[in-house]
Amino acid sequence: MAKLEASDAVVFGISIDSPAANNAFAEKIGVTFPLLSDMNRKVLKEYGILKMYNVQKEEYDWAQRTTFVVDKKGVIQSVEEEASAINPNNAVAVCTKLPKK
Amino acid sequence: MRSISFTSMIVVAALAGSVGAARPQEDVKVSHTSLKAGDMAPDFTLLDNKWKQIHLSDYRGKKNVVLAFYVLAFTEG
Repeated sequence: MAKLEASDAVVFGISIDSPAANNAFAEKIGVTFPLLSDMNRKVLKEYGILKMYNVQKEEYDWAQRTTFVVDKKGVIQSVEEEASAINPNNAVAVCTKLPKK
Repeated sequence: MRSISFTSMIVVAALAGSVGAARPQEDVKVSHTSLKAGDMAPDFTLLDNKWKQIHLSDYRGKKNVVLAFYVLAFTEG
């Protein structure tokens, strides 16, 4: 995380949890960056990463684990899905290579 | 080719889901993002964990932004 901040980046975690749940989660795991609530799944739909689960005949949906790096012009620089998105090293590498201005 | 990587992702997801209480998974439909490097990131406004509105567009021209979408709070996911 410190490496990301040093590369002039901010980090946001995003899930379908409520702000209250996210705050409790943030305190529990000690994250220093904001956790955003997409309770109505609007952003998940817009980014196309809603994951549907059929659990005992009922459908539930929540986020596919995905990491996007967005540069200062608002352009996506990298997209990582699932297992590779857990490891932040690639996001750090992408941010470090971006121009400082 | 596409279907092979898709299947392996389902397997990875199933393994990742095996932590903690067993979640009865019968079917998982993954929607893959159509966004790719070079696309504009769609703007959004969301509440953070302090009930403050965050606009993605506020960071344009100022900061690089890492958006880490996670599955659910309080889980290994």
